[in-house]
Amino acid sequence: MKAQTLRAVDGERVISFYPGCSLTSSGREMMESYLEVASFFGLRVQTLEDWSCCGSTPAHSIRGWWGLVLPARNLLLAESRGIEELMTLCPSCFVRLWDSREKLLADEQKNKRIQDLWGAAVRGHTRPVFFLESLLAVALEKVETLAPGSFRGLRIAPYYGCLLSRQRWVTGLDGHSPRTALGDLLKRLEAQDLKWGLEEQCCGAGLAVTKPELSQRLVARIHQYARRAGANCLVVFCPLCHMNLELRAPSQEALPVLYFTELLAIAAGLPHTQHWLGRHLVDPKPLLSQLRIA
Amino acid sequence: MNREFQEQVASKGDNSFASCFHCLSCGAGCPAVELMDWRPNQVIRMIQRGMKKEVLESRTIWICIGCFNCLDQCPNRVDIPSLMDTLRHMAIEEGVRVPEPGILAFHKEFLRQVSNRGRVFEVGLMMRYKLATRSFSQDMGTGVRMMLKGRFQLTPSRVENPREFKEKLGGSS
Repeated sequence: MKAQTLRAVDGERVISFYPGCSLTSSGREMMESYLEVASFFGLRVQTLEDWSCCGSTPAHSIRGWWGLVLPARNLLLAESRGIEELMTLCPSCFVRLWDSREKLLADEQKNKRIQDLWGAAVRGHTRPVFFLESLLAVALEKVETLAPGSFRGLRIAPYYGCLLSRQRWVTGLDGHSPRTALGDLLKRLEAQDLKWGLEEQCCGAGLAVTKPELSQRLVARIHQYARRAGANCLVVFCPLCHMNLELRAPSQEALPVLYFTELLAIAAGLPHTQHWLGRHLVDPKPLLSQLRIA
Repeated sequence: MNREFQEQVASKGDNSFASCFHCLSCGAGCPAVELMDWRPNQVIRMIQRGMKKEVLESRTIWICIGCFNCLDQCPNRVDIPSLMDTLRHMAIEEGVRVPEPGILAFHKEFLRQVSNRGRVFEVGLMMRYKLATRSFSQDMGTGVRMMLKGRFQLTPSRVENPREFKEKLGGSS
């Protein structure tokens, strides 16, 4: 991570945050655990006021123009407030914001139409950033606050999913470079970080509602491969992956699926951990209590 | 060969598909290829051969999940996900038969939510999608489990001025 990701205000580090729709509903555990973990590590998170949906897959799929217009509104809200970096927790929101910004900056005519609609053109002053790098950086800086070896016995199959696995020019998202930092952190906690084969395979969340049989097959294979490699849990970085990996998990031998942010919350011993874990569809508590982790 | 369709597609988006040399990487790594009637490179070949009706009525353009695996793997950087967007837009404009009405219904309901409140209300989206596709029995159990676990927000969240948002967005297409 680069230090400039964070602005220092009165010695405190502030980060502007675009939540997105899943994070306020089915992905609430990710947002709540992120916010508590961030504050534990000394990050002050400011939510972008009056944010609106990025349009996700449906907008660019069937109404191309809305695929630019919807993210642009949020970029403009951020630009008007002088925000240089707008952080997202959801990889899909990130890609939509990045894509709209790239396309509008490259096309004056379209940007003019944005100006006619929302009152300003996108100038590129705000850059979307993904949460992982800045969070890992503060976590590693304050790693002494985490008990070494507290994850002994946890055998993690990290699951990055599609968007975090692409080359940077494809999605604007660099999901590869944070992995070294992640490895360092997990080593400190003495969790096993497995190579298991499907960490970069798509889980099919985009068709989870409309083609459940497809995502069921993809998700079953993910659980199966992870289990075969000796994992006792999956760790995810995306609210859509989490939902899909739990909802479409095979009825037998499903692995618990933890958000990376929950993992940090457990490591830091934060008070609401049990509450989030209680909302999971595949109960992670038996595993965590058996290993005396949480 | 009829080049009209090929030129029409290229004029709407980028024409990176012209450099496809059919190495089959795209379909080989595609997580959803099993539900497609044509592999992504076959769709490109069909565009080049002017098979407009077959392309616009294909399942492939609706099944593409947008995971970018094909683009990431493509030696010629053919932007297949964006090509699929263009083809879907054309299919809608031309009013052709959509072989995956459920997927279109889901996208439409999602955008209806966005346009009404500026944000998506997941419970409302699911209910309306189920109504639109008459598929209430499917996933009822999982929906109830999610509800009981407190995984859904039960009241919709909105932008500050939904009416203004809707007017502006609706007037822009």
